[in-house]
Amino acid sequence: MKTRRIPAGFVPEGLPWVAPSVTVLLALSIYPLIFAVKLALTGAGGAPTFANFTRLAHDRVFGAAAAQTILFTLGALAFEFGVGLALALLIDSLARARSIFRAAILVPMLLPPVVAAVCWRLIYNPQFGVLNGTLRRIGIHTSLTWTNGESSALASVIGVDIWEWTPFIFLLLSAGLQAIPQEPLEAARIDGASAWQTFRDVTLPLLKPAMVLAVLLRAMDLVRIFDQIFILTQGGPGTATETVSLYIYRTAFRFSNFGYAAAMSFVLLIATMLFSRGVMKAMRAR
Amino acid sequence: MKALRYLAASVAVLIALAPVYWLITISLKREVDQFAYPPQWIGFHATFAHYAEAFGGGSFAIYFLNSVALAAMSTLAALLIGVPAAYGLARFEWPRRWDQRVGDWILSTRMLPPIVTIVPLFLMLRGVGLINSLAGLAIVYTGFNLPFVVWMMRGFFEEVPREMEEAAMLDGESRSGALVRIVLPLVKPGLAATAVFCLVFAWNEFLFALILTQTQAAMTLPVGIASRVTQYEIQWGAMSAAGVVAMLPVLVFASAAQKYLVRGLSLGAVKG
Repeated sequence: MKTRRIPAGFVPEGLPWVAPSVTVLLALSIYPLIFAVKLALTGAGGAPTFANFTRLAHDRVFGAAAAQTILFTLGALAFEFGVGLALALLIDSLARARSIFRAAILVPMLLPPVVAAVCWRLIYNPQFGVLNGTLRRIGIHTSLTWTNGESSALASVIGVDIWEWTPFIFLLLSAGLQAIPQEPLEAARIDGASAWQTFRDVTLPLLKPAMVLAVLLRAMDLVRIFDQIFILTQGGPGTATETVSLYIYRTAFRFSNFGYAAAMSFVLLIATMLFSRGVMKAMRAR
Repeated sequence: MKALRYLAASVAVLIALAPVYWLITISLKREVDQFAYPPQWIGFHATFAHYAEAFGGGSFAIYFLNSVALAAMSTLAALLIGVPAAYGLARFEWPRRWDQRVGDWILSTRMLPPIVTIVPLFLMLRGVGLINSLAGLAIVYTGFNLPFVVWMMRGFFEEVPREMEEAAMLDGESRSGALVRIVLPLVKPGLAATAVFCLVFAWNEFLFALILTQTQAAMTLPVGIASRVTQYEIQWGAMSAAGVVAMLPVLVFASAAQKYLVRGLSLGAVKG
């Protein structure tokens, strides 16, 4: 690209246009980040310490929360991707009413997350919830208590996330499918390729960038999951649905241990950065 | 085979909409019908009592107005600060690809998990007395929407041919005059979509609001709803009514901006 030397005292013409935004973001994103480092590295007496990070390594609750966050992320992601891809292909193959189906399927994702979670509180309630009621009505008597049961809570919360965010994968993959040019598909058909061969050798490779972006964006969001779990279970019963975000929240705002909360949040930050680098690359490629 | 596809698609739509439909019915049912067995999907006695209870003089009216004010303030501020930056990155000559580096850095701030910055932001705002105030939350939301505005608008500006402003500037228009009178009208749909996404983000946001607004007077609608859910005795009717009111504007706005959904949502516009 340009390798011209920058003359001394040169001020880019665009600088005053960009400066206010950069200033605001420095104050609201970068300064808090530095503040968090300081919090995490400062002991009770104000002396510098690594105690918050060493404590992290021995904290069983944090370990459990991290394991549950990973389980949550992988479980939800696998289902959302599989169902989202199948739905995108299905709707794309329809001859009519595509946009109506598409709009309806997108609804769960657009709801305020709090409202989506409230819907499922009404559905899951073991005493009077509509889910058990409907199951009973069609002859299935279940004693499942969904989000209230120690063993079923995590799966139930994952279920809500699948309902809410499969539409996101669906949306990005639908757009990806629509952007695929017709010529290679037709060429494959003329060459006598079967539907499956066309899908595997033409559609899938062309859809790959959209798939990568969708999965990375979703993964980035899943590792920080908070809203739905907060409304549905508050991390319970016990710690059955506690995730890293919820544990950080409790540590900071219930137990007022800001330093330890800050230290934990860096683990989450590193996990996010693993995905965000990929997201940036995928976005620039588009 | 064809009919089967439509059947499968209809089942997907049913699963997507049934929980929302159920929420609406609960908000309209008398208390005795809400949790009747067998569940009443249709043909129940409808009443608007819960809406009156929640919003007529009830505290949800305050939360609602708070949410409206907050969404409007933070969107306006993010646009005022972010649009010039987007234009600056899209149009000017930058040495050493600064435009790309600054653009990437701005986008990367959007990807910070809110829970990482919330602890320091809480302490900072508490230090200056902006906890439990709409102003404090508006500042935080502005910072959150800003990278989104810059990234979206930059894309729209790059689609406008440079000759448009250059011609206007030859006619004696200043740079900012050309932006306001020539370029902005051309990107109006994109600008509107960007504003819609900012509004929706501020309207839906929960975590920052939960931590930064703890008093009745400053609570937003999602926090107000959540505070009802976690109480010992839940008033399902009023809460569902508030939920329906919270979701309606989002659905209306989102369908208005449908053309731009993919572009906006790949930046995580709806959820932080």
